[in-house]
Amino acid sequence: MIRVVLPAHLRTLARVTGEVKLEVDGQVTQRAVLNALEASYPMLRGTIRDHVTQQRRPFVRFFACEEDLSHESPDALLPEPVVNGIEPFLVVGAIAGG
Amino acid sequence: MSASMDSTSFSNEEILRYSRHLIMPEVALEGQQRLKAARVLCIGAGGLGSPVALYLAAAGVGTLGLVDFDVVDYTNLQRQIIHTTGDVGRLKTESATEKIKAINPFVNVRRFDTMLTSANAMEIFRDFDIIADGTDNFATRYLVNDACVLSGKPNVYASVFRFEGQASVFAADSGPCYRCLYPEPPPPGMVPSCAEGGVLGVLPGMLGIIQATEVIKLILGSGEPLIGRLLLVDALALRFREVKLRKNPECPVCGANPTVRELIDYDQFCGTRGEESAFTVAVPEIQPEELKRQLDAGEDIFVLDVREPHEYQICNLRGHLIPLGDLPQRVHELDSSREIVVHCKSGARSAKAVEFLRSIGFCHVRNLAGGILAWADKIDRTLPKY
Repeated sequence: MIRVVLPAHLRTLARVTGEVKLEVDGQVTQRAVLNALEASYPMLRGTIRDHVTQQRRPFVRFFACEEDLSHESPDALLPEPVVNGIEPFLVVGAIAGG
Repeated sequence: MSASMDSTSFSNEEILRYSRHLIMPEVALEGQQRLKAARVLCIGAGGLGSPVALYLAAAGVGTLGLVDFDVVDYTNLQRQIIHTTGDVGRLKTESATEKIKAINPFVNVRRFDTMLTSANAMEIFRDFDIIADGTDNFATRYLVNDACVLSGKPNVYASVFRFEGQASVFAADSGPCYRCLYPEPPPPGMVPSCAEGGVLGVLPGMLGIIQATEVIKLILGSGEPLIGRLLLVDALALRFREVKLRKNPECPVCGANPTVRELIDYDQFCGTRGEESAFTVAVPEIQPEELKRQLDAGEDIFVLDVREPHEYQICNLRGHLIPLGDLPQRVHELDSSREIVVHCKSGARSAKAVEFLRSIGFCHVRNLAGGILAWADKIDRTLPKY
């Protein structure tokens, strides 16, 4: 079970509260997690990754285990604590409120 | 951070005032002198700016600059604690200066009753050592960042939305800048503002106090500043997460080969030129006056409200409620042959709904320009605004 934390506005869009829990088949990579996320919540397509290029959008970043994974390969394995569901995969988005 | 020791002698009254600092070895007389010599600029005297300014004034920061062009309104009072009910309608800088002086008359306040722009930012920043970013929009955040990088001044950053906040210290000589974190802003309308999505009143208080703490640490040269780290605050779970940030060697402003060497047009960069977002100008609109005329004439208009149910409870036009996020699943509730007018609070979400409906074949669908707020302003002044 993979835990994913979404920014507040994407939780609203996906109609979820708290963390999202996902089953990911095969190797647990950014791409696999995001594919599973978008399959469960189609309304999130285009919000985290570009619709066409599937690249991370520049106002969104990925973190896990305190590390910035934003520039890792989408096919790199995620850290073991994320794979084991001990730590969440964080999707962090720009906010501007003050 | 070096600070001039000029004009930093203390009267007996000041010694008494700062005594809880003076007995701490980490501050002591030298630290208090540094605070008195320091010049801190608060961008925005709102939710974040309120606690930043109040605590820095109380702590004895010698010069506080306040940049804000806005006036206090009733919707500010739930979180902008430097302003009171009696301040509604006054300039925020005027109201804030009064409170700062009441807390600590030894503070020199410099007011800038103006919008921070590419034309004035470098000039305003020149007389300050540290910048505390408490603005409420992406264009000004990129402007503050770039002006900080170009002037070599630390940007003590925080932002809030609903129950969540982010804080960091962007000091480009030793760590990443805001553009390293977010190279580009979200398209207009994609990430709601606090005016659209709300913010827990105490949240800017929490984040503003973190900003004030970081400012004081930079002035004292003590502790571990939040440089190269992003603090993520979730007030609902009361969870603080810290993640590492790296400098982007290809950052256009602080990287090895910068392409941004002077301030740019940040409205253009953020796609926010003009008052309407890109979404609201891209879809057919109807003005509130025209909708009123058509409804009064008994024309067959289907009013679709795409706000959330809790917003509908505050005020409504008796429209059919389908929150924007539910629209794809509930589109079967709509008749594509009818004239449909979609509205939300201010027009951004409903523009997305119109765009979506037109993409799936609805031809007679328009966006209510300015949303229910415009209706309250122009048609029904009894309607509560939020």
